[in-house]
Amino acid sequence: MIELKDFSFRYREGSEPVLKDVNLIIPDGSFVGITGAAGSGKSTLTYALNGIIPHCYPGDYYGSVTVNGKDVLETSLIDLSRMVGSVCQDIDSQFVSPAVEDEMLYGLENFGVPREEVEPRIDEALTSMGIADLRDRMIDSLSGGQKQKVAIASILELKPEVLVLDEPTAELDPASSLNVFKLLSRYASEHGTTVVVVEQKIALLAEFASLLVVIDQGKIRYADSPAAVLTHSDELLELGVNCPRSTTLSNRLRRAGLYRGPACRNVAEAADAVMEMLS
Amino acid sequence: MSKFLEYVPGNSLLHHMNPVAKLIGAILFALACFMTGNLILLAALLAVGLVLAASCHMMRQTAGLMKAVLAFSVILAAILIFTTPTGTPLVALPWGYIGTGSVLAAAATIVRLEAAAIPLFLVFYVTKMSDLSNSVVKVLHVPYKYAFTFTSAVHFIPVFMNDMKGIMEAQTTRGVEFDRGGFMNKLRLMVPLCVPLLVSSVRKTDSAAIAAEVRGFELRTRTSGYKEYPFAPADVMALVICCALVAVGVVL
Repeated sequence: MIELKDFSFRYREGSEPVLKDVNLIIPDGSFVGITGAAGSGKSTLTYALNGIIPHCYPGDYYGSVTVNGKDVLETSLIDLSRMVGSVCQDIDSQFVSPAVEDEMLYGLENFGVPREEVEPRIDEALTSMGIADLRDRMIDSLSGGQKQKVAIASILELKPEVLVLDEPTAELDPASSLNVFKLLSRYASEHGTTVVVVEQKIALLAEFASLLVVIDQGKIRYADSPAAVLTHSDELLELGVNCPRSTTLSNRLRRAGLYRGPACRNVAEAADAVMEMLS
Repeated sequence: MSKFLEYVPGNSLLHHMNPVAKLIGAILFALACFMTGNLILLAALLAVGLVLAASCHMMRQTAGLMKAVLAFSVILAAILIFTTPTGTPLVALPWGYIGTGSVLAAAATIVRLEAAAIPLFLVFYVTKMSDLSNSVVKVLHVPYKYAFTFTSAVHFIPVFMNDMKGIMEAQTTRGVEFDRGGFMNKLRLMVPLCVPLLVSSVRKTDSAAIAAEVRGFELRTRTSGYKEYPFAPADVMALVICCALVAVGVVL
């Protein structure tokens, strides 16, 4: 379980806290989506979970963050890295090797994974991301989606208990984004991994997340199931979070007294809702 | 070969050789070139280099290297011609003369630099940078952080070049004319762009350092590498031949 208690953080060079009095509990095995407008503090929240704050970015740190019972402030970055796998926003910066195979070996070598486990782990991670055929390729020859999958696979092979991803689909088209989320969701449910993903595409979070967190100016405004959060589509729009049109439609129908079900997350659900309403 | 020091896949003997043997062999080969002044031996070494390049199917890339080295070595050769009055005088100069020795020394300089550069060039293109760094850590006991620094620097050169290109394109769309007024004008216009490039470079290297750290960089030791780099008979043979070349170079 991940727990943030009254957590606030101000970067050393910043004048204002980026996160203010954040309280959040993330149960084991959950798929958590974090969204919010640009500059709302989403990435800072992920840094607090994987220990980059305070170990790499110092500043004023208040409250506490615990990951599986270990206080992030008191646990070394290396020990945290054994539990929390992180995929950066800028994946090109994450790559340390020009070849996929060497990139996959990097983390395993560093963490001293036994020799006999190396090959099975690489195979499993690449297969789970559907990129086993890319093993012998050079990273520069890959598409954006393939690079993203390699970056995720190179973390999955370390078998982290928690996986933190910062905008993993930022440079991907809708189809590739959906594919990445499907693969992540399947891996997480198969391995019981807790996934925390920062994402602007709220439709994806609504589809896959079990807990949706909306941050605004460093504070958590909503933290609930996607269906519950999406009922606040007008408020979310004011915060800079654009809900799917199917959600907006179902919320308007509800306000008009025509629909009583949960907020629709996609076109199929909206179609079902309209059909139900008409019948 | 689209990028600086980007691995060129292949199946040649050089591709399959031990990275350390290749690196040491190339250094010894270059040493042999600098040990001798014998033009015939230098020409023979240049021919060996070209045969190696052909065996790796890298003649086109090697021709590009030779062109670049020629531009530099011609300057050195010109200095030698005008400042080393040796051999039979051919042309009189106010401060001496150009002799047959001067011409031979100039020719030897050009051939020497070309011959010495080719094997080193080939080693860096037929060896994956990760294999090179891992093998020097494992076999030569070079501290990993130094090897990582080198490979990271090589890795980031094309990234920064792309960033610079992006910044220049952005400036071009805002009316800056990089293609007018010659080299000096281009240089003058590029200098202010170094600031945003520096800012983005620092950000990228910072992200890269953090990404490496959360993947256990600090835990890495000499024995961490998964791949082994044993010396095969061909590696030993190559090193013996290179040592012999150094000896021949010293003698001749």
